[in-house]
Amino acid sequence: MDRLQRGAILIALADALRRQGSWCGETHLQKATYFLQHLMEVPLEYDFILYKHGPFSFDLRDELTALQSDQLLELRPQPIPYGPSLLPTAASVEFRERYPRTLGTHQRSVDFVARKLGDKGVSELERLATALYVTRQMTDADAEARARRINELKPHVSLDEARQAVASVDRLKEEAASLS
Amino acid sequence: MAKQLHEIRDPIHVFVRLDTDERKVLDSRPFQRLRHIHQLALSYLVYPAATHRRFEHSLGVMELAGRVFDVVTHKDAVREEVRRALPEIANEDALRYWRRVLRMAALCHDMGHLPFSHAAEKELLPSDWNHERLTREIILSDEMKIIWESMTPPVRPLDVVKLAVGPREAKDLTFSTWEDILAEIIVGNSFGVDRMDYLLRDSHHAGVAYGKFDHFRLIDTLRILPTAPSGPDQPPPEPALGVEDGGIHSAEALLLARYFMYSQVYFHPIRRIYDIHLKDFLSAWLLGAKFATDLEKHLRTTDNEVSAALWEAAHDPTKPGHADAQRIVGHQHFKVLYQRRPDDVAKNPEAGQVVFEAAKSEFGTENVRHDRYTQKGSAHIFPVLTKDERIAYSVQVSETLQRLPVVDVDYVFVHPERLGDAERWLRARHDSLIQRTGEAI
Repeated sequence: MDRLQRGAILIALADALRRQGSWCGETHLQKATYFLQHLMEVPLEYDFILYKHGPFSFDLRDELTALQSDQLLELRPQPIPYGPSLLPTAASVEFRERYPRTLGTHQRSVDFVARKLGDKGVSELERLATALYVTRQMTDADAEARARRINELKPHVSLDEARQAVASVDRLKEEAASLS
Repeated sequence: MAKQLHEIRDPIHVFVRLDTDERKVLDSRPFQRLRHIHQLALSYLVYPAATHRRFEHSLGVMELAGRVFDVVTHKDAVREEVRRALPEIANEDALRYWRRVLRMAALCHDMGHLPFSHAAEKELLPSDWNHERLTREIILSDEMKIIWESMTPPVRPLDVVKLAVGPREAKDLTFSTWEDILAEIIVGNSFGVDRMDYLLRDSHHAGVAYGKFDHFRLIDTLRILPTAPSGPDQPPPEPALGVEDGGIHSAEALLLARYFMYSQVYFHPIRRIYDIHLKDFLSAWLLGAKFATDLEKHLRTTDNEVSAALWEAAHDPTKPGHADAQRIVGHQHFKVLYQRRPDDVAKNPEAGQVVFEAAKSEFGTENVRHDRYTQKGSAHIFPVLTKDERIAYSVQVSETLQRLPVVDVDYVFVHPERLGDAERWLRARHDSLIQRTGEAI
């Protein structure tokens, strides 16, 4: 997948998240892209590390900056104290139409992720994305071991919250598998 | 009694001071090598006085890192929620240790640079290597470990690595929030002292005013602030480096300085084409077209060896890289045929690539070069402490930052003897070449 094909998917994701009521700040886009890449297996090839608020990709941040330079995404400040949203521009509508094959292949995955995550705030997205990250790292571990690992990595996430996040991710994995 | 504090004269910071333990790092072989690495590669061919080296820049970064640390950890500057999130701030011993680590990381952050700094390290190093990885290997080397262990208290080399290269370049290491903030002081996108020093220093030596900003005011107003919520739910407090309301104009000046220095100096088209000619020369000159990643070989290779080889190759047609060496030494660089335009970007964000491919077919691969770069990160979004003690985002309090363009470079260069033909050729087919990009159904 080349840069512009990835761009078309990111713009479609931002648009779908927004339609689901997402705040669509950078953190929302980072976590949703992580799910798109690692739950839905869309081959975006971003390198994610566990960072502030869970999995984070510096490459993806660079790509979001490049899409602003390309006049396809724009930063929209929100009232204090909330962070800015990153939204598709009017020009991006026509741009997306130029990638029918890429979006034809992946739009269903984009819509699924947006439907499942669009109404979530940053705290919940952090818990869910970290749960997916830990699940991918500890492939043979049971739910309790994964929840304990989340609590260890992110002490502000309580063990109960971590257990709920692991259960949600396991359900999401089943639903995603049934889509394909 | 032997002197414990050493002062070094500096044109930007007047004096850079360091103690006897820190001086051991200054006197080390890897650091002394930086006396022979130009800060701005071949930029001196465009800005003749820009001949300064990584050595003095690294000293400046250390000086600024110490100043920022003292400001942001001062007890009157730390908010209660930040104190709770970062227990190190209330621990005197921890503060002393981390101040030392920060200054040493700042001093060492560029040790891995190849000759002529950034010039094409992606192409000239084996895959998975870059100057940050070389920096890491040097900090962890036996030669440096002896120095870290001799300090009082001893410094853990991996702590120096983390702060010197930051989380982006040390993806295998886990950073605590505290370590993350300290790394941000050096390599951060918004207020990293690496950037502060190079903007001030490079503009001074290049003789341009674009890079100047009020760094005294900016540093005095830097604070560790809780990040503002990204939406109506409350995220966990993850502190980050931000600025008090009173420093916002200095922060704007820094980020504008960055924008202008990138567009006018670092991405000056002639400077960029010299970098490409140098890369082509090095590919021909180096064994296997790559620099060695063996530390001993790295430490023995500086700009001096490359400059001597360039000079020799320019005067001897039998030497590898002769044509490129001649272009550099004889100032016969390729000329700009095409550069990024907003109306082209609307049709095809990779318009330069299209022109490059077509020009290669028309004029031959050997006569055309392409250069593409887009700014990394999102430098202008950071927390701001407002006068009424609320946390805002920078783009909410600064219209200037809302509108700050992203630096984006897309040049196509052509052999000087083909320039006239190439310009006529491009004029005749510009619109048909740069059409709306996309996929067939």
